[in-house]
Amino acid sequence: MAGTLELEVKGLDFYYSGNVHALKKINLSIHKNEVTALIGPSGCGKTTLLRCFNRMHDLYPGNRYQGEVTFQEENILSSGTDLISLRSRIGMVFQKPTPFPMNIFDNIAYGLKLKGIRKRDELSERVERALKHSALWDEVKDKLHASAYALSGGQQQRLVIARALAVDPEVLLFDEPTSALDPISTSKIEELAAVLKKEVTIVIVTHNMQQAARISDKTGFLMLGELIEFDTTEKIFTAPSEKLTEDYVTGRFG
Amino acid sequence: MARTAKRNPVDTFFSIITGAASFSVVVLIIGILIVLISESSLSIGKFGIWRFLVSTDWDPVRESFGALTNIYGTVVTTMLSLVIAIPIAIGIAIFITEISPNFLKGPIGAAIELLAAIPSIIYGMWGLFTLSPIMSRYIEPFLQKVFGGLPLMGILFQGTPMGIDILTASVILSIMIIPFTASISRDAFNLTPEVVKESAYALGATKWEVVKNVVLPYSKLGVFGGIVLSLGRALGETMAVAFVLGNDHRITTSLLDAAATITVTLANEFAEADKDIYLSSLFYLALVLFVMSFVTLAIAKFFLLRAEKKYTR
Amino acid sequence: MTREQFRKAEGFAALALSTLAALGGLFWLVFILGDVLVHGLKALSPTLFLNDPAPPGVEGGGLRNAFVGQLLITTGATLIGVPVGVLGGTFLAEYARGKSISHIISVLADIMVSVPSIVIGTFIYAVLVKPVGHFNGWAGAVALAVIMIPVVLRTTEDMLSLVPWTLREAAFALGAPYYKVITQVVYRGAATGILTGILLSIARVAGETAPLLFTSFNNSFFSLDMKQPVSSLTVTIFQYAMGPYDNWHAQAWAAAFVITIFILVLTISGRLLIRWRYK
Repeated sequence: MAGTLELEVKGLDFYYSGNVHALKKINLSIHKNEVTALIGPSGCGKTTLLRCFNRMHDLYPGNRYQGEVTFQEENILSSGTDLISLRSRIGMVFQKPTPFPMNIFDNIAYGLKLKGIRKRDELSERVERALKHSALWDEVKDKLHASAYALSGGQQQRLVIARALAVDPEVLLFDEPTSALDPISTSKIEELAAVLKKEVTIVIVTHNMQQAARISDKTGFLMLGELIEFDTTEKIFTAPSEKLTEDYVTGRFG
Repeated sequence: MARTAKRNPVDTFFSIITGAASFSVVVLIIGILIVLISESSLSIGKFGIWRFLVSTDWDPVRESFGALTNIYGTVVTTMLSLVIAIPIAIGIAIFITEISPNFLKGPIGAAIELLAAIPSIIYGMWGLFTLSPIMSRYIEPFLQKVFGGLPLMGILFQGTPMGIDILTASVILSIMIIPFTASISRDAFNLTPEVVKESAYALGATKWEVVKNVVLPYSKLGVFGGIVLSLGRALGETMAVAFVLGNDHRITTSLLDAAATITVTLANEFAEADKDIYLSSLFYLALVLFVMSFVTLAIAKFFLLRAEKKYTR
Repeated sequence: MTREQFRKAEGFAALALSTLAALGGLFWLVFILGDVLVHGLKALSPTLFLNDPAPPGVEGGGLRNAFVGQLLITTGATLIGVPVGVLGGTFLAEYARGKSISHIISVLADIMVSVPSIVIGTFIYAVLVKPVGHFNGWAGAVALAVIMIPVVLRTTEDMLSLVPWTLREAAFALGAPYYKVITQVVYRGAATGILTGILLSIARVAGETAPLLFTSFNNSFFSLDMKQPVSSLTVTIFQYAMGPYDNWHAQAWAAAFVITIFILVLTISGRLLIRWRYK
């Protein structure tokens, strides 16, 4: 099952502006075509870690990384990294759906247009493919030019996934993608993740342990900025080697 | 809101006086309308409505009055000042919300707001003493040299550059409304949820692409409302233009000619109007201005309210 | 150029333009303030505050009448405008809270804030000058008060709405009637905000010229009689700046300096106050 190495975190420390030490000496490897879940109590640093992979922290001044994160053997934390191409290769889906103030078609075509794809047929074709991919096509194919805000929350979230998929990313980061959704929409998105991992590497932050257990291959458990344990999901949920992990997954705290 | 069953008499009294105080706003607006109509009735009777609005006469000696030269001056200076002010104001708003380092956001925002607090008479006087000579000596001759010979554009820059003209007045007016427009646009930009901007960044958008494709579309209602509000303010601005417009009642195509706005006419002539019909016509002008700005402001408010509703859903 | 280089260049250009715009905006602020400062300070002297104007064309003289007149008119406006505004805002935020009448008046007040001030001048002329037969100080004060009322009313309403509803409930629970809850609890909670609104509204009207042109008019002599024409700094600036004499121009700059400083101090203290309170 050990595929190629996609992302590797080596001795990563992260400080929010004001010298808040949010991640401490994190080491972990993420393999291609796997779903890696990051779990832990709120404030443990799981989202912070996720946002290191596409350098989202760079949007706000004063944040500081130390250590290395390699993406296909290239250190993406180096100052020479081109954030724009990095982010077009590593997509992200947020907690709440974030459609842009445009119609459904333009939302999905947005990333493609950024990449310079202008031809109408190519755009239509790739938009359709992305929507089919995210299992939204049948629901929206007749109203591609309606506002994206007209969709339901679950549909909006799948729209946002389609938008991220349209640019053929190599990695998809999910930041608690179902925490704002109803159970039916949640299960749709979970099914989607299982299908998608054939093509992209998925890293998902979730506070829902059942979700992590259901969809992930590997799981990392973080607490207070430290990676307590990282192993196969099965091991983490059935025979964790750390006491803290056991307490957490059995619901004794958090 | 379950209060005591029988109402305290002092409470009743307090609710009545506060109610009366708040109704003063309604009374004032209706009062202004009624008083202006009744004061201008003499002029309305003599010149009618449509005829007054389209007549270019403004002749106190022959006692023949029409509003068109004033309306023309008002509309032209207002529009020109908006054309100058809007790009700059939006640029400032973009700078404050997206570019400026955090420690500069506060000071620059505060400076812009101070600029908005400076009274218009200071702008007007500064325009007369400082800007007008600069315009007549450097800027206007330059514009004339560059554009004066061109077809179409040329008619905008005819005449002797005196610095007391439509262009100078519009520049002053634009300096005056820039801070106001900028701070409303900034507030509208700030309503764009951070996470929506982040998701555009996460797709690999540049900062400008995020502004252009996410922030601007997201805040367009608010920005548009702000622009219309600025328009309403510019329409009624008196002192910033009174010094440098020249109060010349005519319709001119050249931006280098003097002109008159409704406000400038009122400021210069109201206290001196010696005949009833003259004064009544001035009231009539005030009425026209009141209606114009009230309608503009109401439209602005409509958009701003819709913008607010949209974001607080 | 690759597509990405082009995108970055385009972004850089657009952001550079925005930065230039911001610098340009600040440039005007520095230019205007600097100009007022330089010219104003040059003309500033004790006689400016202590003497009344000399006859036109004669050197010397001061603007004592205008300083005092400005103070009288602004004080008069504050005395009328603030109580009406605060009480009106109280009604909207308390007794009429959430009712559509509150919403309508609030919107009308917002519009009223931006109604051309010169129109208000003509209105007050018709109501308070024409019937009396001559220009008078009270007319000027009322004109400024009319401008002040909606400003104070809206800030009061906003500030009162910020006071948490639970605070009122707590006071009701002790058996207090509504007016006591408002005056003893809610006002106290919102005092700083309301005070800021008042300061800013004074700053707003202190610089108004247009509504005074044909209400309080002007008076070249010292006068404390609000029933007669009263001189004001702003109208004097207009008259002097447009006049032909150099010493008039110098005094206009000096008056502009004083009024600008006064307004900036009010505005800045208002902002500091609110920041200190709501930090």
